[in-house]
Amino acid sequence: MDQLMGIHHILVDVNGLVGALFLLSAVVLMTARQAQSVLRLFVRQSILLAISAFVLGWLHHSAELMIVGFITIIAKAILIPQLLTRTLGPDIRSRRELEFIVNTPVSLLIALGITVLSYFFVAPLLMGSGQDILVNLPVGLDVLLIGVYTLAVRREAVPQMLAMMAIDNGAFFAGIAITTSSAIIELAAGLEGVMVVLVAAILTRTLAQHMGTTEVGALTHLKEGESE
Amino acid sequence: MIILAIPLIPVLVSLVALLTPRLQVIRLASTLGGLTALILTMRVAQMVSRHIALTVWPHWIGVDGLSSLILVLQGFVAMTATLYSWGYMKQVAAPHPRREQQFYVNLNLFLASLFMVPIFLQPALTWVAVELTTVLSVFLVGFENTPKALEAAWKYAVITIMGATIAVLGIFLLLWGLSTLHVTIQTWATLKNAAPEMPVALLKLAFVFIFIGFGTKVGIVPMHTWLPDAHSQAPSSVCALLSGIEVSTILYVIMRLWPVFEQIPGDFAQNWALVFGLISVGTAAFLMVQVRDFKRLFAFSTVEQMGILLVALGLGPAGHYAMLYQLLTHAITKSLAFYSAGAVFLATSTLDIASIKGLIRISPLAGFSLLFSGLAIAGAPPFAVFLSEFSIFRASLTSRHILVLALLLAFLTLAFIGILRHLNHMIFGKPTHPRITLPRSVTLALFISWLPVLVFGVYLPASVHHLLALTMLALRR
Repeated sequence: MDQLMGIHHILVDVNGLVGALFLLSAVVLMTARQAQSVLRLFVRQSILLAISAFVLGWLHHSAELMIVGFITIIAKAILIPQLLTRTLGPDIRSRRELEFIVNTPVSLLIALGITVLSYFFVAPLLMGSGQDILVNLPVGLDVLLIGVYTLAVRREAVPQMLAMMAIDNGAFFAGIAITTSSAIIELAAGLEGVMVVLVAAILTRTLAQHMGTTEVGALTHLKEGESE
Repeated sequence: MIILAIPLIPVLVSLVALLTPRLQVIRLASTLGGLTALILTMRVAQMVSRHIALTVWPHWIGVDGLSSLILVLQGFVAMTATLYSWGYMKQVAAPHPRREQQFYVNLNLFLASLFMVPIFLQPALTWVAVELTTVLSVFLVGFENTPKALEAAWKYAVITIMGATIAVLGIFLLLWGLSTLHVTIQTWATLKNAAPEMPVALLKLAFVFIFIGFGTKVGIVPMHTWLPDAHSQAPSSVCALLSGIEVSTILYVIMRLWPVFEQIPGDFAQNWALVFGLISVGTAAFLMVQVRDFKRLFAFSTVEQMGILLVALGLGPAGHYAMLYQLLTHAITKSLAFYSAGAVFLATSTLDIASIKGLIRISPLAGFSLLFSGLAIAGAPPFAVFLSEFSIFRASLTSRHILVLALLLAFLTLAFIGILRHLNHMIFGKPTHPRITLPRSVTLALFISWLPVLVFGVYLPASVHHLLALTMLALRR
């Protein structure tokens, strides 16, 4: 019994550590310049999500969460990077963003603000809830919001697409702690994530073919009040 | 069983389109598919009017008044859109038969995903269907492959998928609320019943995520930036589907959860709806005055109409009937407006308002249809939108929202002037293009679309009134 309790405590600590690394990955993803390194970070972030799902699945004896973990690994850590590598040539993946819209120190400050804010948002819900929710809910929300920010300031197609998937990771990091029925959604979301990336990758390739650039931040043809 | 057949038909049609390269067969299959879907959805609505609700698979698949209203509207626009595509795509995609085939595969898959949204009884599954509608329509938006169309498709995909992901966290929070109350069945009905027991903080947070998330796809200002781009760059039959019914289908999800959120004390949800609704109507009205592209004009009108719907939702029970009425009239009128805009594009090959004059002589049908559909969507009598907007004004008076009424009237007048100013420029004067005749299927689709707009403007059949009254049950706490 003591041994079991010991394992339980260790797993809770592991989940806390995973939560910290998960948050860190979102912040690094926000500042990484090269498309290839953003992709690598996204894969690591997805693996962290899967580890958290496995740990929580073990703690709550939930087969659904184990399934969520497996789907995450297959869809986000294997299929999505494969698809991206195949659909887009090496030249697009190696593109760098030399100038950010917002410079890195300011972005870090904003990320800090978002972190404080997301704890503030969920604080009223955390009273009396378990150790796992205490970690996953605020961290998940935080990663989601940092992802939205990253999406807004990125100018290249591939990092923007991966920021979109990182938002998804954030939502599910919170989701696995608060509901066990996330398996069916994760199954669908995993499949759809693959579809989304495929659609976005084909679109990126078409953009590159027709406009010679994948800098989506430069797409500003459609607006009001200016002549062609 | 008939309910399951509705999304299945377009899937079958898309299979046909995938397997045979013969375009005439594909066009026929697609049009027949649209017609069958309309007949089936009307049959479902008829059955719902008699039995109040139909269940195929308890706690999973079924329809009630609200979902059958959405289904019938989807069926109607799907029928006219597939018919319209026949002649329209033949001209637009003329030198590329392969692309036209691809278009029909995509179009029918998109229709299938739309039909799936209202038939699920679980929020989680509905969310999956909503995600599918985006993924399956991205290539329809970017169909033209021009830089502008690709830009629109990219913004559409990125912004609306981000919105859906934000919404999923809201759904997770609601499901958490259910599981803390030990409710294991996670349907719209159980959520509605359990809402009074849930902590207010949880409901508030879930509402904000769901409102912002799905609101992004509905086109609520300030999350609307993708909408005018996507809804103007796609081929006209797709625009009619996106603007006429897709946005309303997503709004349906918010409406489904409305009885849950209405229970947050202090009219929290109602006030959000009123504020964001009015901001949307106002912003859209100002932008409608400035547009240079007539499809964007109608796209902004969609933002405006969604704002009006939100305002009606925010008025509380007094506004519910008017809101559903407006949902109906908007779907039929906006699809008509885009068909007319498409006809104008066929006649002139441009979307630029300034370079078109004398439309009434270039193509009398396109000219008249554009003028009157513009008047109809702007809310002029004797068309359908006039009556529904009038009932929203009346609802805001009876619920004593005088400021809301005043702002709404001011913005709608501005929008009216905006629409008329542009259309006036295009329709009269010396013709800028040679005279043409429109393809037969386009003419037919225009005539069919005109029917309900004219009829519902003067008379609401008892069966439709009954369906609207049934629909209100879903909005009640």
